[in-house]
Amino acid sequence: MKTTLAKPDLERKWYVVDATGQNLGRLSVKIANILRGRHKPIYTPHIDTGDFVVVINADKIKLTGKKEEQKLYMFHTGWFGNEYYRSVAAMRQKKPAFIIEHSVKGMLPRNKLARAMMKKLKVYAGAEHPHEAQQPISFEG
Amino acid sequence: MPRATNAPATKARRKRTLKKAKGYYGNKSRLYRYAKDAVQHAGRYAYRDRKKKKGEFRQLWIVRINAACRPLGISYSRLMNGLLAAGIELDRKQLSEMAIHDEAAFAAIVEKAKSALAEKTPA
Repeated sequence: MKTTLAKPDLERKWYVVDATGQNLGRLSVKIANILRGRHKPIYTPHIDTGDFVVVINADKIKLTGKKEEQKLYMFHTGWFGNEYYRSVAAMRQKKPAFIIEHSVKGMLPRNKLARAMMKKLKVYAGAEHPHEAQQPISFEG
Repeated sequence: MPRATNAPATKARRKRTLKKAKGYYGNKSRLYRYAKDAVQHAGRYAYRDRKKKKGEFRQLWIVRINAACRPLGISYSRLMNGLLAAGIELDRKQLSEMAIHDEAAFAAIVEKAKSALAEKTPA
């Protein structure tokens, strides 16, 4: 018997997780694994078998040590001399969802599938999200 | 004396190579000079990867078994140790296929492995 491979059109569940007080990396691994579908017996590397993940309270994610001030995100506009840096603290102020999105993205494979997987990740700063209709299941991070 | 180059044989050989290079990208499917190299590489990769395939599938089965058994409260490595203790000789492919198509049977096997583990290590 051949190894069963997943078909591209499969049913996807929704999960919701509260990021309050959770360590960034520890939480991101779990999110990335759900987005990839590694929690399912039908996991197939060349097909996106993952589920949707909604993250709430993204602005309350925890980073250990001095990373709040010392960890820098680098950006480049494409023009000479126009690279700039944002600390975690500044990002938390300006765009709190970015911290988790950036971290999870780094844990996904570098290919087209990763972009499809990222579309299934919804990160919100507050405690509310507009996906109640999908009846997301909460999971412990 | 005229130079004998054996043109028909050369032509046939090159044609054979180009036939094997059908569908390759750019020059590699059109010019013998580049097709030859690509075809040789393709053969080597195919030979190597027929062996790698065995290991890659084993990796996939392990990931799948791990995904299936963790919700049942046991990790992959503990499960395998338990199966050994219980004398169950299902291989990883069989286990992963069971986890997909027959969850109940997989759960029953996990239970057997768990009880075998409990017997092995007195609490």
